[in-house]
Parts: sequence; structure tokens; C-alpha cells
Amino acid sequence: PTGQDAGGKKWGSKLERLFAHPLYNIRSPALGDEEVLLQPEDLMNYYKRKVSRWERHQKYYNEVAAATNISLPDREAVFDPEASWLKFHLGINRYALYSRDDPNVERLLQDLRSTAVINADYTQDEKALKGVCDCSQVVKPSGHHLKLALKLKDFGKAMFKPMRQERDQETPEDFFYFVDFQRHNAEIAAFHLDRILDFRRVPPVAGRLINVTDEILLATQNEELRSVFFTSPANNTCFFAKCLYVCKTEYAVCGNPDMLEGSMSAYLPGLSIAPRISIPSPWIRSYTFTGREEWEVNPFYCDTVKQLYPYNSGNRLLNIIDMAIFDFLIGNMDRHHYEIFTKFGDDGFPLHFDNARGFGKHSHDEMSILAPLTQCCIIKRSTLLRLKLLSQEEYRLSDVMRESLGHDMLRPVLTEPHLLALDRRLQRVLRVVHKCVRKLGEAQVVAVDFVESHRTTA
Amino acid sequence: MILFRKFRVLILMVFLIACTMHIMIDLLPKLERRAGSSTGNSACSCSHRPSEEPQSWGKQRARPGAESGWPNKHTLRILQDFSNEPSSNLTSHSLEKITGAGERTEAFKKMEHYAQNGETKKHFIQDTDVVKNLPVKGFTRLSTLFEHPLYKTALPPLTDEDTLFNVNTDIRFNPKAAENQEWHNEGNEEEYTPTGESSADSYPNWLRFHIGINRYELYSRHNPVMDALLKDLVSQRITSVAMKSGGTQLKLIMTFQNYGQALFKPMKQTREQETPPDFFYFSDFERHNAEIAAFHLDRILDFRRVPPVAGRLVNMTKEIRDVTRDKKLWRTFFVSPANNICFYGECSYYCSTEHALCGKPDQIEGSLAAFLPDLALAKRKTWRNPWRRSYHKRKKAEWEVDPDYCEEVKQTPPYDSGTRLLDIMDMTIFDFLMGNMDRHHYETFEKFGNETFIIHLDNGRGFGKHSHDEVSILVPLSQCCRVKKSTHLKLQLLAKEEYKLSAVMAESLLKDRLTPVLIQPHLDAMDRRLRLVLKVLADCIEKEGYSNVVEDDLDEESAHTATSRR
Repeated sequence: PTGQDAGGKKWGSKLERLFAHPLYNIRSPALGDEEVLLQPEDLMNYYKRKVSRWERHQKYYNEVAAATNISLPDREAVFDPEASWLKFHLGINRYALYSRDDPNVERLLQDLRSTAVINADYTQDEKALKGVCDCSQVVKPSGHHLKLALKLKDFGKAMFKPMRQERDQETPEDFFYFVDFQRHNAEIAAFHLDRILDFRRVPPVAGRLINVTDEILLATQNEELRSVFFTSPANNTCFFAKCLYVCKTEYAVCGNPDMLEGSMSAYLPGLSIAPRISIPSPWIRSYTFTGREEWEVNPFYCDTVKQLYPYNSGNRLLNIIDMAIFDFLIGNMDRHHYEIFTKFGDDGFPLHFDNARGFGKHSHDEMSILAPLTQCCIIKRSTLLRLKLLSQEEYRLSDVMRESLGHDMLRPVLTEPHLLALDRRLQRVLRVVHKCVRKLGEAQVVAVDFVESHRTTA
Repeated sequence: MILFRKFRVLILMVFLIACTMHIMIDLLPKLERRAGSSTGNSACSCSHRPSEEPQSWGKQRARPGAESGWPNKHTLRILQDFSNEPSSNLTSHSLEKITGAGERTEAFKKMEHYAQNGETKKHFIQDTDVVKNLPVKGFTRLSTLFEHPLYKTALPPLTDEDTLFNVNTDIRFNPKAAENQEWHNEGNEEEYTPTGESSADSYPNWLRFHIGINRYELYSRHNPVMDALLKDLVSQRITSVAMKSGGTQLKLIMTFQNYGQALFKPMKQTREQETPPDFFYFSDFERHNAEIAAFHLDRILDFRRVPPVAGRLVNMTKEIRDVTRDKKLWRTFFVSPANNICFYGECSYYCSTEHALCGKPDQIEGSLAAFLPDLALAKRKTWRNPWRRSYHKRKKAEWEVDPDYCEEVKQTPPYDSGTRLLDIMDMTIFDFLMGNMDRHHYETFEKFGNETFIIHLDNGRGFGKHSHDEVSILVPLSQCCRVKKSTHLKLQLLAKEEYKLSAVMAESLLKDRLTPVLIQPHLDAMDRRLRLVLKVLADCIEKEGYSNVVEDDLDEESAHTATSRR
């Protein structure tokens, strides 16, 4: 049925042609209650409680403000049961964060781009540090990095990461992966790439121009956040990540004079209704200057991993390899942990979170990121087929990425060299697979994966 | 096998080439030095040639921003935390803090040793009058500038009160040095003479520099010692390295083969990089090339208030990591993913992996500034600059809001008498030409009281923006409307086409190892700023009359010279 749908259209764009391809139109199996992350009633109740708490808090806050004669801009919040972020949360199932043809994703991206901000605050992991700054730490905990949680008018939340680097800047060659910058455009591009690869494991991210004065400084109720704002000698409004600033590792980010680019990534459902666990990647790096992990020295490392629970059964190892391919394409060496929803158990998909350290060097392909694939020599058939498809002229990865990113407000999100690097890296992935097949035979290497087999028979 | 044999030949070749290179490199500086000393000293009236292995003796520069500043880790005033909060009372630095005690006592001993030949001192001081040995080679503008009558005014006659060291007495007066000398005398008598021909009656360049310091200048105009000292800074073997404690940004104290010391500031920015517009003056990087250029500019302005600075390419492995006994420093060395040697040290500003200093693969540029005499021998006074900035993101300093601020200053000692206020004006002009907004304190030698020049230390934050002229630096000048006649005339001279400041600076900087020290836009900016200074002065003169603005310091001096000429 999908084929007919495709036939009726004129092919103006490679991206549309890609999504119309049969490989992208395998029907998902029907979902049972247990295969959906959230039940609508539970979610509604949860959020209604949150909303009423917010309203109480707001009322109190406004009274205090009025008592001290501060006039606050009116920030009206509207609870909308049809809000795109709620739909997004409800759509999360055991196969992916959202479905392929979900029109809600576009709506959500649009909302992230334009819905008014009503509150700004530090993120949970920053608050968890409780203001403790240890400047001697070489590897800074993730809470140290400058990012903010923004609440939108419809009560949706987004993580804001400001622009730290120009598009054409590359990571200096002497930087280790754990001191690299956080790039807002990498967050955006990672979402698009993940969708094009049909993994759908990155929460939607949109670029946005934020007015730091109106939408952060005046919107926040956090005194500490307010205290990190200042006006620069060039009369721009600036703010900084407290710890990194105190430790003099990073200077402030500044608007021009107020407007600042950044990435807005949609929040996942709260941990209390959809708990997740964080698991260290078996191919974690040492996070030291000299240390090496076992996988870096032992070419047979994967044999050990394969014996270990939970990698000894099911899809887990294959999912890790998907993730390695994804990271290799974006050049992200900083994948120390991955998260999965506890509800889906061991067969759940890993979330591809926190991709801001990708797209740092377009002139360098970090082959060590591919270690899981090169050492294990196994790949999902569905992934391999899509990678092959994307290496073809009429679906070329760089072209579909360029087109997909063209929809973002901050276009161009990636410079040409980065887009072309994607093609080059894709070839390298395919070459690694090819080598494996030559060595071990196709039956050993190309795994007919669990989900896919289901679908083809369906 | 054949392949291997081929390689053997290749390896042998490489080895031979390496050997030749080493021999050449070893020989070159020696030859150079020999050539330098023979030409330089034949013209010199003094009987002592600089030793073949010149020594420079280190002095801890009292850095106002540093030593005792920073109360514990700026937890309270986060908004001020990029400020270079100096403490006000820094005249007494503890010696122990500074460097390895070994080098120090060694240095004291040397001093004592040289002191016994005190009578020779006068020769150095009288170098002032030696104008013959000008470096006239391909450099024309610079030498014509120095030939100009304005650059030939002589100093008043110097008495014992006017020189920093009365070599005979000073050591006796310094119990600490004597003490050190005594307990150190036990073991290493033979280390007295470092190497080569340096003997009891031959002073090393660093000591000649120290002895030459007097009430009016750090060094005399055509002192051959200065060129030799600059050469020393570049060529002396580095025997030990220590981190300067308490500093805001990373600085290393380097000790040379023969106990000479210098302050090393590594390169942090490329020549083309400008300070980002959103940076405050107190969060700016310190630039090694600014240190070098400041020395040259100061000399061209004929102030002679900056200790000599030279650029040097330092091998981070052999000349820093392998010779330091500082564990904290040593620990921060690492090999980068691009296989370069990097380190970041320990300090409060930009000492982290994100700001690691990396060689290519192990060579790093830096500036080496000669140390001033040890504080134990020549105490210095630290003064708070009346036009100090607030070092706060939002607060303004008093002078920024009060247009009559200078009237107040003029009535406060020491600005109410002598030349101090005029010296501040000189410093203001100097800082404006470089764009240095970070002049919070200045220093003088305690011995000379209030009638002395001020030392222009710490110029690393100059030359940050070539496209911007920070006119607020000139505020002292526009508020006070006072200037020395000599300075005014020199500025006018340097604004003329044939003596153009940018051209003489470019010429002067060519002599540095790290040439080009400044990119052309910075040089051009100095011409532009010079015109702005002259404009401010012209406005002052128009408003208040020539004689109220320009203080005639030339007549007085020539009167002095007339009587003092021997």
C-alpha cells in the first residue's frame, strides 16, 4: 500500500524519495499496552499535578514580586491536552521514540522553535552538584556544562544548549575528547541523522534564536542563574556556566546584543513516570591522558563482551553497534554511557542522548569509535541495507542530510565539509562490514534482527 | 634483507646529518657571541668585557596581582572572579616563596663575590655617556632616531645615593645575604666560577644590568650590556624551571646555567588573534609578544623603564619538563591526540586542559624577561595606580565618574611634588599606545624614595586589539593635562614621517628571535594612537596654555649635565 502512495508523487526531493523507499515503509507490528511507554491517563494525571503545582508556585511568586514592587512580564501558561510534547511522550514505544510518519514530530519541532518561554532554570544534573566546583578535575561532570532547562508556554520542556563555536571552527587538534566543546549544531544535526538512519532514538531537536534577556534572565526564578548574567564591554548580554567560569576554563556566552543561537531538545517523560537506567558503554574510554581501556589493546575484546549479560542475548549488542555507527558518522567519542527505558527491559533500544560533541572535526575520521563493529563483526540487516541505500547516488547521505537540515531555523546547521565527511565515513563503515563478510561469511555478520524479521513476516 | 641493508645506509645518513646539525647548533651561538663581544667591547670604554658565558641573575619580579592577592578561591564574589585583584601591600615578598633556595644562595654568594670589586662599578654607570657603540647596520631609521639630539640628553651626575647598588656596602647591610653566604660556603667553593673565562673581575651581563640601575633609569641608552643580556636570554642553557606561585596566569621562572633568572610567559594566542569584544580587561590573556613589544616601545620612547625581554623558542621536553623539580608542573605534562607535548601548569587563570599549552611537537614560543635585582638586595615599593580600574563587571571607579579627579590626586602625596605625576602621564601614554588597560599598580625602588622613575612591569595585556583604541586609558592625561616636555617632543618626533613610530618599532622588533613580533595592524594602530595622544595634548594646551601643560624638564637636565660633565 505504501508503494502506491509513493508512486503518486513527483520526486522533487531526495529526502522524500528516501522516506518513500520500501525500506522505510516496513509496517511496524501492532503495539500492545505493554509495548507503549506511557498510558494516556497516567501521563495526564501526572502532568495535571505538575501544572497545578506550577500555578500555585506562580501565584505565590507573583504576590512576592508585587509586594516588592517588581513588575513581572506577564507569562501566561496554557495547559493543552493536545500539546505536541504530550503526544510525543505518548508515542514512545518499545521500538523507537517516535514513529516514521508521525506528523506530531514536525509540530513538536515547530513548537520548540517558536513557543514562548515562561521559565528558565538549571538542569537537574547541574543542581545535583549543589554548586560545588572542583577545578582540579580534568574531566568535568556533565552538570558543569552550560545548558538550561526552558519551560514553554504549553508546559513542554526543552534543554537549551547555547552556541559555543562558529560553524567553521574545528576542534583543535590537541584537544582530548573529554575537553571538547559542546556544539549546539551537533545536537541538531544528530537528530536529523538519526531520523535519516531510521533509528529514531534521539529526542527531537530544533535550532532557535533565544533572546537571553527576555527568555532567560527575566523568565528565571532562580536567583543563582540570574546572578551569572552581566553586560560585556561590547554591551552584549552574557551569562556563564558558574563552575567552568570560576575555574577559568570557559568564558561566558554572549548574545548579540540579546539574541543567541542554541539548540532546543525536547525533554523525555519525567523519570518518576518513565524511569531510565544509565549503563556504561562496554567500549568506554579511559577519560585520562594516557590510560587505555581493554578494548583498545585487545582485538578479541568483543568475544568477552558477547559472553556477558546482557550482551549475550537479544538485540542489545546489535543496538550498541548501531550506536557505534551513528557515533562514528558524527565523530562523537564521548559516548561513555547509554540509557534505556526500564520498562522495555533488556530488549529496549538505547537512547542516543547528548550528541553535542559530535561534528567537531570534518577532516578526521576517528576509526576507534567503530571498534564495536570492527571487533564484533556483526550488524543488523536492516541497518546495513539502509546504509547501503544511503551510499547510493540518488539517496546520498550528504544530500538528504543537507535537505533535512534545511528545514531548521539555524540553517546552515552544518558546513559542507561536515556533510561530505558523512559520505566518506559511510563508505568506511561499509568497507568494514565488507571486510567482515569476507572473513566470516555473510551469515555470520549480517544478523537478521529481531524486529525486522517480525516486520517482514507481518 | 636487501631492503634492510638499504635502510641501514639511510639510518647512517640520518645519524650523520643529525650529528653535523648538533655540532653546528652548538658552535653558532659561540661564534655569534665572540663576534658580538669583540665588536661591542672594543668601543666600550670600560675595562671589563662581558664574560663569554654571560650570567644573568634572577630577581623575583614583585607581581602585584599575584602573591598574596586572591583570598581563597573566589567563592564569594563570583562576578569579580576574573579580576586581577591585587593586594596593596606587597613590598615584602618572602624569599622562600620564590625559587629553589639553592639557586638563590648561589646568587647571593656571587653577589658577594663581585661586590669585593666594587670600584669597577662606576664604569657601568658611566655607560650613559658611551654613545659610540651604536648598532648601525642595515637599520637606518632606528639609529637616526637614537642620533637625534632629543635622545642625547644626559643624566644628572650620580652619587652613591642615586645608584641602586653601592656594591661594597650593600652586601654588608644585608644580613640575610651574608647569612646565606656563610652556611653555603661549606661545600661548593669550586662553583664560584661557573665556566669558561668568567673570573672574579669580569661581571656577567645580568649583574652589569643590575648594577647599572640608578635613580633615573633601568639601563642607560646605549649600554652594550643590554644587547648582550638580550642575547643571553635567548641562548643561555636553562638549568631549572619553577612555576611562579600565586600568579594569575601561568608564568615560569627559568634559571640559567649560571644562576641568571628570567620570567617566562608562554605563547597563548596567535599573532593574528584579537581579544574578543566581550572580554573584560581583567579576563584577557597575557601575550608573550606584548611583553617583547612593550620593551622595545619603552626603549623607543626613551623611558627605559621596562626590564629587557626577549623572545625564545623553548623545547618543552628538554628545557621545561626534564629540568623542573616542581611536581605540580611536571604532573600536568601530557601528549595530545595530535602527538604534541602539552602542559597546563597550576594557576588561577586558564590553567586547565582546555587551555593547555601545546608545542609543535615540542617547541613552544615564549617571552623571557630578565629579573630585577632580588628584593632582599633592592626593595621595591608597590603603589596603587590612582587611575586603577574597578576590576568589577558593573562597578565604576571614581575617576570614571569624577571629571575633576586629577585635582584630588595632585594634592595627594607623592603626586603633589617631584615628577611622579608626570611619570604617571608617561606611563599612561605608554599604556595607551599598547592598549594595556591592566595597569592597576606600579613599582619603584624603595632606595630612591619618591624622586625616581616608575618601573613598567607586566605588559602582557597590551596589544590585544589593533582595531580598537581604548581612550579611557588616556583619561589621566586628559584629566590632568600635564606632560613632560621631553616626552612631548619625542612624541612629536615619532609622529613625523622620517621617524614614524610604526617603522622604528618594526625595525627594532626585527632583532628579536620571534620576529615578526607584531603584525602590521598593531604597528599601524600605534601611529593612530600616537596622533590621538598628541591631539589630547594639543587640546590641553589650547585650553590651559602651553606653560601650564608642558613641564620643562629639559633645561633643568642640561644644566645638570653642564656641571656634571667631566
